[in-house]
Amino acid sequence: MERLKPFIALLDLDLLLFMAVSAVKVGFFLGAVMGFTAFLTWVERKLSSLMQDRVGPNRASIFGFTLLGLFHPIADGIKLMMKEDFVPARASKVLFTLAPVITLVPVLAAFAVIPFGNYIEILGYRVDLVIARLPLGLLYVLAVSGFAIYGTFLAGWASKSNFALLGALRGAAQMISYEVTLGLTLVGLMMVYGTADLQQIVLAQGRLLFGVIPAWGVIYQFPAFLLFLTAAMAENKRTPFDVVEGESEIIGYFMEYSSMRFAIFMFAEFIEIILVAMLAVTLFLGGWQIPYLGEAGFLFPCGRSIAIHPYAVVLAQMAAFAGKTAFMCWALMTLRWTVPRFRFDQVMKLAWQGILPLSLLNILVTGLVLLLAGKL
Amino acid sequence: MIEIKKVNNRPLNLLERIYVWEIFKGFLVTARHFFVNLFCPGKIITIQYPEITRPLEHAAKRRTRHRLKMRANGTPKCVACFLCATACPAFCIHIEAGEFTSSQVEKYPAVFDVDLSRCVMCGMCVEACPEDAIAMDTEVIPGGVLKREDMYLTRNKLLQNMPGDPSIKGAANRLA
Repeated sequence: MERLKPFIALLDLDLLLFMAVSAVKVGFFLGAVMGFTAFLTWVERKLSSLMQDRVGPNRASIFGFTLLGLFHPIADGIKLMMKEDFVPARASKVLFTLAPVITLVPVLAAFAVIPFGNYIEILGYRVDLVIARLPLGLLYVLAVSGFAIYGTFLAGWASKSNFALLGALRGAAQMISYEVTLGLTLVGLMMVYGTADLQQIVLAQGRLLFGVIPAWGVIYQFPAFLLFLTAAMAENKRTPFDVVEGESEIIGYFMEYSSMRFAIFMFAEFIEIILVAMLAVTLFLGGWQIPYLGEAGFLFPCGRSIAIHPYAVVLAQMAAFAGKTAFMCWALMTLRWTVPRFRFDQVMKLAWQGILPLSLLNILVTGLVLLLAGKL
Repeated sequence: MIEIKKVNNRPLNLLERIYVWEIFKGFLVTARHFFVNLFCPGKIITIQYPEITRPLEHAAKRRTRHRLKMRANGTPKCVACFLCATACPAFCIHIEAGEFTSSQVEKYPAVFDVDLSRCVMCGMCVEACPEDAIAMDTEVIPGGVLKREDMYLTRNKLLQNMPGDPSIKGAANRLA
């Protein structure tokens, strides 16, 4: 007991409170993301079938109720758990086991800095509605998402399978190429808002341009929005950039994976859709901001105002964030089922000759405009 | 109805080479299909087989689930000659012959199984049968079952016209 005393002294009430609040935030936000991911696997199947004039999954039932096939994610999960967990004889066991984890963890870690609301005051204690408010949150996201490539490459390498290795090599080339553009497209945004703190960027998007238009990033940086979406979809490794997988030719880096190990790759891919959607919303579509809604209520440019309780405002803003994220997920999935796959050389050409020079040009133009506007 | 669509292979213009606008147009097409099918699901032409079936057309009616015909005295017409099993390209007919001691007919099928999960519904067995003992005119379309056993027809099931009915068609026979 005597020896523990210094440690107990360290654990003052503030720190404990901070830890408890953070744990609640992590549980709430990641729980919501995970739930939405499971839902998204159903959405993807249903959405693709609807846009191809099919019916989609509608058979899994509990006591005869099918609920539009909503039980299919559960059925999928049970099926994947029942499958044989297979490890190839010549695979390196440690890396083979580690690869899915390395794929999943960075994707989850990136959610730490995404603000899902402004802040709430509970009994005088201010709770920021972001898990970790980092001053360089944007760079953190880029750094962490750069880790995802290790998972892809290790999975292909550790399987000792030629097709998996081919997929991993393609994945490495593609992800490194688009990583560069992904970072560069966001430079213009950082220049406009003068910060890399995601919460600050969202707060800045609550201002009004010319007193009427909400100053969302998509209005300042429309080309960067398109470039960011392209690069992010390529990072995500889904069609039209799915040469890494190439379902019809090489299956890809997770070819030798089965059972829940494969499920983790699949799950990470879907979480990444949500991550990309949330980043696009946070950076370009105003985050949790609702146009004209301030901390005390609506304040319209025509002069009218409606007072709303601060808690209701925060709830509405969180709902707006969820709604925008859901819309972006829908848009990304619709794009994925619209555009045919690029050839590998086309992917590379698009990265290095297409969107990389364009993102550099975007930085140049942004800098020039800022210089002429006297804001530099 | 197959139509011939002439593809105009002209070189792409600038807007098409930039590709973003073309993607957006494609996006609108798929989104339109999505919303139309979301709000009017009745327009989807999928038929929820096995719950809903269409009436069969023309020759498709002639080749449905098998049945074995019976004589008037209730014995199967089949003489276990194995011609149908030989003709079957899918090897889905399994016959074991039994022997009559008192009748002019020497053999009868003690076992006559048709594995519908393998059957390709070609009708070769009907063509091959010299006794006109097997027919595919029950107008029952096999498939859409939850257990493998339900796709496996044994002799007693085959001797029924429709599930539950004894065979009445083709009961007359030279030996009756």
